[in-house]
Amino acid sequence: MKWRRWNYVLHRDIGFLCIGLTLLYAISGVAVNHISQWNPSYRVERVETNIGPVLGNPSDAETVRTILARLNEQGKLESSYRPDRHSLQLFVEGRSIMIDLTSGHVVHDRAIPRPGLREMNFLHLNHPKKAWTWLADLYAVALAFLAISGLFMIRRKTLRRGLVLTGVGILLPLLFLIVYL
Amino acid sequence: MRIFLMTILLVAMLSPATTFAKDFGQGLTLTEETAISSIIDNPEAYVGKKVKVSGLVIDVCSTRGCWVYLAGDRDFEKIRIKVTDGEIVSPMEARGKKATVEGVVESMELTREDVIKRRKHHAEETGTSFDPATVTSGETVLRIRGLGAEISGL
Repeated sequence: MKWRRWNYVLHRDIGFLCIGLTLLYAISGVAVNHISQWNPSYRVERVETNIGPVLGNPSDAETVRTILARLNEQGKLESSYRPDRHSLQLFVEGRSIMIDLTSGHVVHDRAIPRPGLREMNFLHLNHPKKAWTWLADLYAVALAFLAISGLFMIRRKTLRRGLVLTGVGILLPLLFLIVYL
Repeated sequence: MRIFLMTILLVAMLSPATTFAKDFGQGLTLTEETAISSIIDNPEAYVGKKVKVSGLVIDVCSTRGCWVYLAGDRDFEKIRIKVTDGEIVSPMEARGKKATVEGVVESMELTREDVIKRRKHHAEETGTSFDPATVTSGETVLRIRGLGAEISGL
């Protein structure tokens, strides 16, 4: 098989392999790019309520049970923290419940994962590390191969257009570097 | 060949993400643990030094996951763990879980304006209200520049 044929076959097959990862990195890339405007992985839901003043020792299990009962909270209590003398923070199944013991004001925070996006960002930001790092490196090498092998697939009749567009693609980041760096 | 590679890719993508989710950043290297109360009581002895601390994660930056607060070993105490944006992103599920963190202790002298700016930013991140009039002076802020962490129960 001639090298051009090999180039075509490898470009095509590696291209197929990269479709899933490219979509993952593209979608997550847009989401993460705008991290200053939103949390790309979670939506935080906040509910405020009042259960009335809480009497008794907040470190006491009975007092905590009373608070949870007033909140009609059915979830399992995981841990608690005393931010100050007048407050108690309870953690129930990943949720945070902050109680002002004097006024009874309660702020209930729940972080709801954005389905799909959280998982994509998890991979994009290389949280898994370990084997995923290698896979992501392989993907980067594959992308570099696709870019270079693509250059050798330009046909004579589209050579000029191919070179111009390739040049634009290289110049664009350079232009931004000149402006912003 | 292609089917084989596709299978590996799919398995890697569909593996339960949480099985890897415990370690963050550079991981843990120190053997000795320092109590958060020791750092708060005697910051001069720790500033610039690498320490390993552990405690309950009581709050996480809800936008970038770029900081967490660890509860101290005494009531009413906590310490902020700041990580470089993007290097470590703390998940919000970490709230209420026990974390062991390694990092360098930092102390920062803030002016009143700095304090207002930081608290305003914090209020925006946490969706809480903040009145600048409550800040009357500058302050010294103690924090740990987080390098690695392990969060159990994720």
